[in-house]
Amino acid sequence: MFDLLFENIERKIEITEEDKAFCKTLFIPKKLRKKQYLLQAGDIAEYVAFVNKGLLRSYSVDEKGEEHIIQFAPEDWWITDMNSFLTCEEAIYNIDALEDTEILLLDKPSQDKLFEHIPKFERYFRILIQASFVAMHKRLLSTITNTAEEKYMRMLKTYPDLVQRVPQHMIASFLGIKPETISRIRKKQASNS
Amino acid sequence: MKKTIAVIGAGGAMGSALSKSLAASGHHILLMDKDSEKCHKTYDSILSELPNADIEILNCIHEGSWEADVIIPAVAYEVQREIADYIKDVVTGKIVISLINPMNEDKSKLLTSPLSSAAEELQNYLPYSKVVKAFNTISPSDFKNISNADCFIAGDDEIAVATVSSLAKDSGMMPQLAGNLSASRTLEGMILILIQSCRKNNISESGCFKILIPKT
Repeated sequence: MFDLLFENIERKIEITEEDKAFCKTLFIPKKLRKKQYLLQAGDIAEYVAFVNKGLLRSYSVDEKGEEHIIQFAPEDWWITDMNSFLTCEEAIYNIDALEDTEILLLDKPSQDKLFEHIPKFERYFRILIQASFVAMHKRLLSTITNTAEEKYMRMLKTYPDLVQRVPQHMIASFLGIKPETISRIRKKQASNS
Repeated sequence: MKKTIAVIGAGGAMGSALSKSLAASGHHILLMDKDSEKCHKTYDSILSELPNADIEILNCIHEGSWEADVIIPAVAYEVQREIADYIKDVVTGKIVISLINPMNEDKSKLLTSPLSSAAEELQNYLPYSKVVKAFNTISPSDFKNISNADCFIAGDDEIAVATVSSLAKDSGMMPQLAGNLSASRTLEGMILILIQSCRKNNISESGCFKILIPKT
């Protein structure tokens, strides 16, 4: 249940068996079924979630009822509504499961406890947030400068597995383009190759 | 938000009554009982009264507890430890509601030492869970008949106590905060008074408590 999380942590910091045992007293093991919510917009994000198995997504819904996907989180990824988690303001995103999913949850009091007992975890989460910050800026730049085709090709290159795993209309929602556009790009790719 | 609640022993009188009550407030209830026939009976009985109830039967209590946000072992005191050991690794950080009254066979005294309680023992078996005592002073037969019954709630984790209070309130009861988990010693003893009173009046086990506060 904890193997993947510890592998993820150990890629960034060194932890002892004792540290691992302590982690096991803090993380909440939870299963979600396909389509089940982890968080609904308007609630407070109580947890950061590490995906051990399955796939989650965060998204917002606009006035017309259209979904805009912010992030996909397959195995080995973290997900939350960071603003809500840090500030206790209402979440603006929904997070739900696209597949049956196993997650490990960490709430704020437990995260504080973790930082207090094992300060190097601050370094771990700092590295995560840095990486997320960089990725977010790349995504922002791509969103405002790239053509639909460039965006799709970038997605295909960066997250090839996700493109296979997630329905096309969700990829379109994530990229901010129309599903028909992806069909067109795919057709063009097929005829080019 | 809607909670997923695992009821272990959903076929018993208490498990069944509580499952129905919680299902009525719209939560997702996972019914589990080693007696599958009894579990199905609870399932059918809930659906006949509440056709839209979000309930289902699960066969594995480990799986059910893993999926749940709140776990309620509605089982005999004697098997509490066995159940706790079985679900221990999937209930870290979660609320576990203790509604067990650890009585002897003729229900005349408690089996726990005066310096402990079934709830505190459960907390020892599950040190990383948030054990909350609740619902144990209300007879299962009265869950749906008595509205505004006092539901005494004891626990060491403030947020967990608040969550269980709102579950009680959703079920039409009046949550009464009884203190830390050690207050369970008193709460578990209260059922003896209720049973004694029923026996004296020659009625079947029923009833609940109500605190009366004088008008000022």
